Amino acid sequence: MTVFKAYLKILNKNKFLVILYTVILIFFAGFNMQNNDTGTSFMAEKPDVLIVNENETDNVTKNFIQYIEKHTTIKEVQETEEARNDALFYRDVNYIIYIPKDFKNSFLEGKKLNVEIKSTGDYQASLAEMLVNRYFNVANIYRNVIKDEETLLEMINTTLEKEVFIEVTSKLDIEKFAKATLFYNFANYSILAGCVFIICFMVSSFKEQKVKLRIMVSSIEYKKFNRQLLFSNSLFAIVLWLCYVILSIILVGDVMFTNQGMFLILNSFIFTISALTLALLIGNLVHNKEAMSGIVNVIALGSSFLCGAFVPTEFLPDFVLKIAHVLPSYYYIHNNDLIASLETINLETVKPIFLNMGILLFFGFMFVVMTNIITKKRNR
Amino acid sequence: MKNVIEVKNLIKEYKNIKAVDGISLEVKKGEILGLLGPNGSGKSTTINCILSLLNFEKGTIQIFGKPMAPNAYDIKREIGVVFQDVAVFEELTVEENIDYFCGLYINDKRLRKQYIEEAIELVSLNEFKKFYPKQLSGGLLRRLNIACGIAHKPKLIFLDEPTVAVDPQSRNNILDGIEKLRENGATIVYTTHYMEEVEILCDRVIILDKGKVIANGTPDELKELANMEEKVNVEVDSITEKQLEEIKKLKNVDEIYYHNQNLTVIYKKGKNNLITLIDYFKKESILYDKIYSERPTLNDVFLELTGKELRD
Repeated sequence: MTVFKAYLKILNKNKFLVILYTVILIFFAGFNMQNNDTGTSFMAEKPDVLIVNENETDNVTKNFIQYIEKHTTIKEVQETEEARNDALFYRDVNYIIYIPKDFKNSFLEGKKLNVEIKSTGDYQASLAEMLVNRYFNVANIYRNVIKDEETLLEMINTTLEKEVFIEVTSKLDIEKFAKATLFYNFANYSILAGCVFIICFMVSSFKEQKVKLRIMVSSIEYKKFNRQLLFSNSLFAIVLWLCYVILSIILVGDVMFTNQGMFLILNSFIFTISALTLALLIGNLVHNKEAMSGIVNVIALGSSFLCGAFVPTEFLPDFVLKIAHVLPSYYYIHNNDLIASLETINLETVKPIFLNMGILLFFGFMFVVMTNIITKKRNR
Repeated sequence: MKNVIEVKNLIKEYKNIKAVDGISLEVKKGEILGLLGPNGSGKSTTINCILSLLNFEKGTIQIFGKPMAPNAYDIKREIGVVFQDVAVFEELTVEENIDYFCGLYINDKRLRKQYIEEAIELVSLNEFKKFYPKQLSGGLLRRLNIACGIAHKPKLIFLDEPTVAVDPQSRNNILDGIEKLRENGATIVYTTHYMEEVEILCDRVIILDKGKVIANGTPDELKELANMEEKVNVEVDSITEKQLEEIKKLKNVDEIYYHNQNLTVIYKKGKNNLITLIDYFKKESILYDKIYSERPTLNDVFLELTGKELRD
């Protein structure tokens, strides 16, 4: 294990650099995790609604207005249509409801209920529209069977007041898991940068042309030397990966021991293999130690930005995502997002995850093949 | 005496250009063989073929009586190579570097420790054990390079220009170390540009040019090939064309060269040539500063054989 021992010695001589690099990456990972809003609860905002009532305030109209009032914020009626349009334009109101003169009669005669509306078309306007539609749908159902006005309105109100209680049965701590996903997304940069920087540095030390010649004339089999070097690099990559796994357990706790957590860990392991093979390829291509930090920045930072390690993929333009498809990081981060939305585990839900893992392994295989071709060409 | 290396009709081509053109050579056990030749003469290519670092088109190479091949690890175990370029790890100390390269041959930790100590002693790096390569001067680095190549006590050592660009102190130290290696029974193949080193160290010299062996023998045998007995160099104040013609006609004089007040007189044979020349200077009242006589060097041999200097 001469090569392995020398590897450890060289790594030890650069421990300050390795520790500094790792601490900075971990710090940023933790910082990124704490500062991203991972909240899963929300509160619906009431839309601002303006009601223009051209009808007398009869019971039917009154009942409709009361329902709308209950679920929205009613704004004061503007005098002119121009003023109403301005209010809509400047988003002072989201929705304007025009109640026609014959609203009550139409309602009682069984004609199709309708009101005119004006909308900003935004989320809150949609909410207002949903309320109107809901009221009319319920009213239409009862109107055909109940003829007494008072009973009809009472039934409509009773039905509309009914609420369905929904309980989220997932055992997963959604908030913690979202943090874990963020952490593992950031690990794309940390693992890639760590692997590329250190492994390239070590490979360039051991495979520096003059040193390599000494090894080739020695009595150690060159394949054995390569095996020892590969073992050392693999061990380093695994230790680096383990550090991140342990850190994730410390930061988010038992979430990492759930099925989804295990998938995140497995996905990061597969990605580490891919990063290791990429680092070996670069290490065999570039032997200039001064160029290492530049290469790390281009590869690790570049792929992290392109593939959504720092910014969620939803916010990235389509052309960027298309470019990202040729990078292993894309499949790793995409997998993390798939795992984050994994509610039940069955063949159907895990199939795309395993497919992405397969693509990551394929990338690794291709990097190994390319490394072998380059090494053979150089040895000739 | 047994042959440690036997090379027969070695041919190595690079895109139809013969870098090594049918070289045959033998190295006997315990001898120091000097490989001399200008750049591009085929020295390094020959050594790289012998070490199986390069494939070759034709010929056979045997080391210790066995065919040499890239996977002949039992042979490689007995070989030490000191390359011209310093090949060490910047991140390891002197001691750690020697330990690593020795560890490629010797697994036994205790034995290795002993060998490392001896190698450090041999190249006189005791005070620099804990130094990093960056902290060493060029000469000390060369010594470390040698220690890394020979720490495992090989029976056959290749030294490729180990004294290039080193200070006189380190050079003497390196030459002393090589003498010690010979005393310990190692067979050495030594390539250099420095003729003085070859004359001091080598039992036998092979001169290469354009991929071919053009001379092979002991330094004295090779000097016989120079076709001259003596060379006298004089720094003169001034001399006329007529006087130069008369010197050319002196007894035993073969050729003369005069350039920038330096006169070189070459004698093919005879004795007391220097006295005859001084007598002539006295008779003609020619003033001179420095006058010395020298025997032919290996460079003269090379000049005689190829018409060019070794360092051309």
